[in-house]
Amino acid sequence: MEHLLSIKDLHASINGKEILKGFSLDMKAGEVHAIMGPNGSGKSTLSKVLAGREEYEVTSGTVIYKGENLLEMSPEERAHQGIFMAFQYPVELPGVNNTYFMQASLNAIRKARGEPELNSLNFMKLVRTKLKALEMDENLLKRSVNTGFSGGEMKRNEILQMTLLEPTLSILDETDSGLDIDALKMVSKGVNSLRSPERSMLVITHYQRLLDYIQPDYVHVLSGGRIIRSGDKSLALELEEKGYGWLQQEAAA
Amino acid sequence: MSAALLDYYQTLAANVPNEHAYQAVGKQRLGLVELPNRKQEAWRYTPLAPVLEHQFAAASREEGLLEPADIASLRVTPADHVCVVLLNGFFMPELSTLPAQAGLEVLDLAQAIQTSAVGIERLGSLSGECLHLFGAVNAALTSAGAYIRVTDKLAQPVEIMHINYSFDGEVLSNPRVLVQVEANASLTLLEQHAAFADVLGMHNGVTEIFLGEGAALNHPRLQNDSLRTRHLSSLYIQQAASSVYKGTTLALGSAWSRTEFHLDFSGGHAHCELNGFYLAGEQQMQAMHLDVLHSVPDCSSRESFKGILYGQGKAVFDGNILVKKDAQQTDARLSNDNLVLSREAEIDTKPRLEIYADDVQCSHGTTVGQIDPEMLFYLRARGIPKSAAMGMICQGFAAELIAHCDYPALETKALSILQERLMPVAAAL
Repeated sequence: MEHLLSIKDLHASINGKEILKGFSLDMKAGEVHAIMGPNGSGKSTLSKVLAGREEYEVTSGTVIYKGENLLEMSPEERAHQGIFMAFQYPVELPGVNNTYFMQASLNAIRKARGEPELNSLNFMKLVRTKLKALEMDENLLKRSVNTGFSGGEMKRNEILQMTLLEPTLSILDETDSGLDIDALKMVSKGVNSLRSPERSMLVITHYQRLLDYIQPDYVHVLSGGRIIRSGDKSLALELEEKGYGWLQQEAAA
Repeated sequence: MSAALLDYYQTLAANVPNEHAYQAVGKQRLGLVELPNRKQEAWRYTPLAPVLEHQFAAASREEGLLEPADIASLRVTPADHVCVVLLNGFFMPELSTLPAQAGLEVLDLAQAIQTSAVGIERLGSLSGECLHLFGAVNAALTSAGAYIRVTDKLAQPVEIMHINYSFDGEVLSNPRVLVQVEANASLTLLEQHAAFADVLGMHNGVTEIFLGEGAALNHPRLQNDSLRTRHLSSLYIQQAASSVYKGTTLALGSAWSRTEFHLDFSGGHAHCELNGFYLAGEQQMQAMHLDVLHSVPDCSSRESFKGILYGQGKAVFDGNILVKKDAQQTDARLSNDNLVLSREAEIDTKPRLEIYADDVQCSHGTTVGQIDPEMLFYLRARGIPKSAAMGMICQGFAAELIAHCDYPALETKALSILQERLMPVAAAL
């Protein structure tokens, strides 16, 4: 089976400093991959490069998504092609109504795919169902995007967008950071509701905790800008027990 | 040139009969005043050529030029509500909607002068004697405009529609509006300066507002004059004890526009909120000039101004708050935030607090920035194309301020004008 996403020997830098140093990863449709790693290993850089943040410069390597060169696509084209990144730090958009924003997002994607846009009434129906599933307060729809939201509200709002847009490839960038256990369960529930043979997920996290709720097919350890170890979910448990040090030492040896 | 222009306005004034005492003050002042120039602090950053290089002819009452249907499409209030139409500054009863309403008196200013309506002696008492050239011109020439007096808590808003439109060349409109909200009365007064056609004229309006004890006025204003118009609005506001004034001015139109706010408190525990938004694009110049005086204790004021600049737009924010020695327990916050979309645009911002009391809470802050790349990326990552994303960020920036109008129909109108103006700008960025 062809890979949904194939990353080969990726090197990327910001402000002239190389962060990713030969990162490679293959993902098939339906798979959930977890990327774990210590601070500064390149986790966030990876998610930003995949989402299309222009400040990051890819100096070599390839990223093929659905058979096409992902690196040539603008951030919005990537979204149109089914890529969604749940931000580690969602951005506040003062004065931009949350519902209006999500409707604009969904319709921009539908339009790009040649699908009919949803009118406000149908969109509201849709968003209410999704909201209920995540046990979110309807007031969040009336407020400005992420403005004055608590950490937990922001992350739920990310997952709400994810369940609305039904992406083919979801990238969860440290979605668990700053969440209490209830919020973590709710977020995981939303993510798990999207699991299907067509969808893939790249779960980037520092801690094993999230992986109790979102069970990955594969776990990769990122260190120094490349994967130093891959395994199944038992690798995450081993890391939880031993920390990252032993793997880093092995890799250096 | 300067002497010629002064002579010109003096002659204009001399030919106008005195209907009320304040006209004499204006005429006298015209004999003493200098032309506004950039050596004067109040005009330092304001380009003056657009208003000093024209000899605008004094407007006259033009009946039959517009029809009621022309007004209907411009209004933001329901058709049966009070709407005063000032065409080139003149009160037009046949274009206005003037149903009788308990607690509300609306008159042509000329009629209010002739009949010595209640409080008419207040005319000119706030704008005073130290007028600049255009203040003096307004005082000397004007017996036209509107008189509004409120003695009850009014549920229905009152709308004033200013239209500058004439075939008689470059016309100068000089309306004066007198608003008295008596003790414990309240009103929402919506003002629109509507672009009826693409004309070159000058609006030189003065509004004097008196709030009695415990009175409240919500005063949203939308300035959407044609992009060739010169627009000068001077607002003078006096607040008695425990009164609340909330003014939100949205300056979108005009080639050259200056809004002056002069506010003073005469009694304690009064609160004022001055909000302003300006859009300065293409060749536009937008100036906001604040003169807030805290002369008595225990009053609070909030001044929030925001602007979006693009093309060769220029904006001036000159915000002054003066807290006098006796004004203890004053609480004043002034902010000015600017979003600049082009290299050629220019903002001169000068917030200033002058404090002579020692037990006060005052602050001011200014920002000048571009579109935040984090915001832009977030929207694009959600599939929203770059130009639409930029438009949304600008709209959001403005919407926060525009929401202070507390009148959805006016807010919607302002936002749609903004969107129409900004869409091609965002697409070209």
